[in-house]
Amino acid sequence: MVVLHFIAVGLLLVILQTTVCMRSPVWLVAPDFYYALVAYLAFRLDLLRSLIILLPLVCVLDVLSGTILGMYALVCFGGYFLLRQFSPKLPVNETLYQLPLIGLSFLAVFWVVHVFLELFQPGQQVAWSWWKMGVRMTLVAVCSYPLFFLFDLIQKYSHRSLLPWNRLRLRSDNRRRRRA
Amino acid sequence: MRKKPTRKRSDRYRLFRIVILAGLLMTLALIFLVSTLGSQNFGPLHKLVLEAVGPLQKVVTMSSAYVETFKSEYIDILQDSLRLREENKRLIQQLQENENILNKSREAMATNASLRKLLEFKNTLDQQQIVATTIVGKDPSTMFRSVIIDRGSNSSVTKGNPVVNNDGVVGQVFAVTPNYAKVLLAIAPSSAIDVLLQKSRVRGILKGDGTLTYRLEYILKTAEVEEGDHVVTAGYGGVFPTGLQVGVVSKIIKKPRGMFHEIEVTPSVDYQKLENLLILQQPKLGEIKQMEQR
Repeated sequence: MVVLHFIAVGLLLVILQTTVCMRSPVWLVAPDFYYALVAYLAFRLDLLRSLIILLPLVCVLDVLSGTILGMYALVCFGGYFLLRQFSPKLPVNETLYQLPLIGLSFLAVFWVVHVFLELFQPGQQVAWSWWKMGVRMTLVAVCSYPLFFLFDLIQKYSHRSLLPWNRLRLRSDNRRRRRA
Repeated sequence: MRKKPTRKRSDRYRLFRIVILAGLLMTLALIFLVSTLGSQNFGPLHKLVLEAVGPLQKVVTMSSAYVETFKSEYIDILQDSLRLREENKRLIQQLQENENILNKSREAMATNASLRKLLEFKNTLDQQQIVATTIVGKDPSTMFRSVIIDRGSNSSVTKGNPVVNNDGVVGQVFAVTPNYAKVLLAIAPSSAIDVLLQKSRVRGILKGDGTLTYRLEYILKTAEVEEGDHVVTAGYGGVFPTGLQVGVVSKIIKKPRGMFHEIEVTPSVDYQKLENLLILQQPKLGEIKQMEQR
């Protein structure tokens, strides 16, 4: 259930980002909500479930944005593993203290991806601009704080399953006898 | 045996007292009645009664007046305020509905004007088939410039179709699905369009740089270029039709080195207000693709 909920939320965030938040095709102040989800998964969820959530998210991002397929896979997985590497080394695990790391990882990952694309497909993307990326980095860091609360709520809600699956599970009658 | 005569005596005494008292009261009442009816005077007894009852009356009357005043001052006001609140709520709702209708009508008028322009522009084009479309999504990344439109291969849209609006060239269809398509905008760095300087007929390549300006490349320094020159599509290659408005030369940077001018072109299209677009279905495009496949 957690996986399904986070996939749905991720899709909703991407759709919001590509429609409501983008006033024009050159609009700068569009927060990268998906990166907040990537960061949340890196900090709070196990590897397997995170990868299952990230795969459809990355696919949707590649379809809706950009002209080079696979770029968002690099960004999301790069950001995820970078944050996952750093998260155990953090002295404090509070959301507020993780925000600078999220922002910096966003900037670092995008810079590496930009350099990588510039090497293999030169002239295909907009020139790097530190101040523009700084604005996006700040937006990601600022948006991550309320979004982390939302994700926490979703995770809490997901554990409280509506259907009692455990009770529906069939158990063999011989279980107790074997124990005895 | 001793108690019985005592009870009998006391009962008799009690009866006697009652008779005496009743007689006295009846006598007094008779005297009062006779004296009152006879003299018609407001005697001391009346005065005494009035003095005793007056304050009570006063208190009751004052209380009643106070209650009446309280009612008129507070309860009625409260009722009025409740009524006014309801009225206010109703009027606010009505106002909101009217504002909503007004906004919708304004929006409809603006859309109508925009579509009318687009229709006029469509009538000027001698294309075989033109498909009108609307933008449904925009690329959020800082590295690329593309949009998603609500027409796809079901509307005969194919990869490479030029996309325009009434102001000029917007971009080119980049990827197609049955109901949607992705358009690479002309301001994207990966976009390149064959263009002409309308006045001098000099040919060049128009490239985007991700901002709201184009770069015009491969214009020889020997060519005559002036600020304000109109740039139109060249039509070579059969993708874009000839003579579509692209932009106006806004800056010419003349460098001592190199063979070519560095020219900045301001787009004729306002990329910040993109909404409704037209997809031109080029008849030659199929042939070009077939030739490319060979």
